[in-house]
Amino acid sequence: MIVSRRSLLRSGSAAAGVFALGAPAILGQAKQRVVVIGGGPGGATAARYLAKDSEGKLDVVLVEPKKQFTTCFHSNLYVGDFKKFEEITHGYEKIAAQGVRMNHQMANSIDRDKKEVVLADGSRLSYDRLVVSPGIDLKYDSVPGWGREHEETMPHAWQAGDQTKLLKAKLDAVPDGGVIVMIAPPNPYRCPPGPYERVSMMAHVLKAKGRKNAKIVVIDPKEAFSKQGVFQEGWEKHYPGMIEWMGPKTHDGLKSVDPKTNTVETGFETYKNAALVNVIPAQMAGKIARDAQLVNQSGFCPILPESMKSALDPNIYVLGDACIAGDMPKSGFSANSQAKVAAMMIRGELLGARTFPARYTNTCWSLIETDDVIKVGGAYEAKDGAIKASSTFVSQAKESAELRKQNTQENIGWYAGIVADMFG
Amino acid sequence: MRGGGRLSLFAFALLAGGQSARAGDIALGEYLSSACVTCHQKSGQVTGGVPAIVGWPADQFVAVMNSYKNRERDNEVMRTQAASLSADDIAALAAYFGSLKPAK
Ligand SMILES: Cc1cc2nc3c(=O)[nH]c(=O)nc-3n(C[C@H](O)[C@H](O)[C@H](O)COP(=O)(O)OP(=O)(O)OC[C@H]3O[C@@H](n4cnc5c(N)ncnc54)[C@H](O)[C@@H]3O)c2cc1C
Repeated sequence: MIVSRRSLLRSGSAAAGVFALGAPAILGQAKQRVVVIGGGPGGATAARYLAKDSEGKLDVVLVEPKKQFTTCFHSNLYVGDFKKFEEITHGYEKIAAQGVRMNHQMANSIDRDKKEVVLADGSRLSYDRLVVSPGIDLKYDSVPGWGREHEETMPHAWQAGDQTKLLKAKLDAVPDGGVIVMIAPPNPYRCPPGPYERVSMMAHVLKAKGRKNAKIVVIDPKEAFSKQGVFQEGWEKHYPGMIEWMGPKTHDGLKSVDPKTNTVETGFETYKNAALVNVIPAQMAGKIARDAQLVNQSGFCPILPESMKSALDPNIYVLGDACIAGDMPKSGFSANSQAKVAAMMIRGELLGARTFPARYTNTCWSLIETDDVIKVGGAYEAKDGAIKASSTFVSQAKESAELRKQNTQENIGWYAGIVADMFG
Repeated sequence: MRGGGRLSLFAFALLAGGQSARAGDIALGEYLSSACVTCHQKSGQVTGGVPAIVGWPADQFVAVMNSYKNRERDNEVMRTQAASLSADDIAALAAYFGSLKPAK
């Protein structure tokens, strides 16, 4: 076997570091432990790759309260009647069989000095490295008149599960002539094309049910949105007259919502008695990351682009929606990609495994109507202290139906692929 | 697979035996493959419009990736991925995926 000088040096210094800290891990011959908080695309992928690639040399614990994970990605397809709820819901059994120790509860806090995670049941889990991938929390105070107590009346469905089912039930009940109002979120938020794919799926359902006089109004705080040109082209083509999108200049600002009367008031209009109001509020990193002070003033976590390591704590990695990933959007694909870089770097640090320069990738497909899928994506690398795109693409106007149909098939293949990659 | 592919694979193997510089670095390939397997299943299973890419002869894998890199073959996702890969990266991926067995 050939051992390169670099990897010898690296494993030598890793071992020295462990001794310097006097970690009982080595003395007691126990395995070094990596704790992962959050079993979404970021955390599940990281845990699986750590367990798989360390071949049992690391103790990998995944802390996640849910036994079943419903993906936000393709939850719009569930809303649009293209997928069943069970098809977007997955268990952790295969990950567990591949050597990840599942711990199904919330992590309450992180004791960064002691390198311990405090769990909901009061027990503590010590770690050599910690991966934090808790996703987003909603800012319940960001939409005037709306709060957590109103999420049943005016659902967000921006965290998948019961909220998604609620939104779907309300959509199915929209009468012909009814008005749906979507309050779109400000940047940065999870899944930049997500609100607009959802609007498309809402229109699809209304059209399929013959409720062509129903209308969807989007009140957006942004002047522009992801894949805007091709989304709007698709709306004109498939759902003429059904969708009205307005940016801040054209609605003059959201003044308030009233959950009691299902009313939305902007500077220019008042929508009374809306059949459905979908409020997607502003977002921030999950609570555990904020409480552990892994965030900066933006409410998200700065990371080192070469490794996904927290810029604020050398023993912690932050993945997915909770982190500041430069040019990468907050997507499941991004979180999955970041997780694989982090898992490699952690094996490098703890086991002296060979590491390579970080590469990241993302593609987001969006379904507009049956067999009409658009996409946006890129390849990314660490550059000038941030994650920067090295090459990108986005669907163009007037593409052939054949190409859009191929995209549809890709979207189906991608979902199967990423789920296999996350959950085993 | 046409005969030419096999022949050049043979030539490739001869070359690789004499001079390892041309053989892909499997460890690098395994790391880089993590980007591919978000869509292309490592098991070789095919779902929807994402083809299996395991067990291919190295020369064909390299040729296909280069045709994306040169923007000959269509598909913006693949062109974008290929654009960020060097010749060594592509050889590494070919070696790694070539070492995996297709699903039965
Ligand atoms: C409508 C919609 C459509 C989307 N479509 C796409 C798409 O087509 N493609 C795409 O790539 N992305 C899409 N996304 C985005 C994608 O879902 C997210 O970017 C992705 O889920 C982020 O992964 P994550 O691991 O950062 O967080 P999450 O998926 O939110 O996972 C976090 C997990 O951590 C757990 N957790 C949180 N706090 C704690 C704690 N203290 N202790 C223990 N566990 C905790 C939670 O229970 C959760 O399971 C979409 C999102 C939405 C809303």
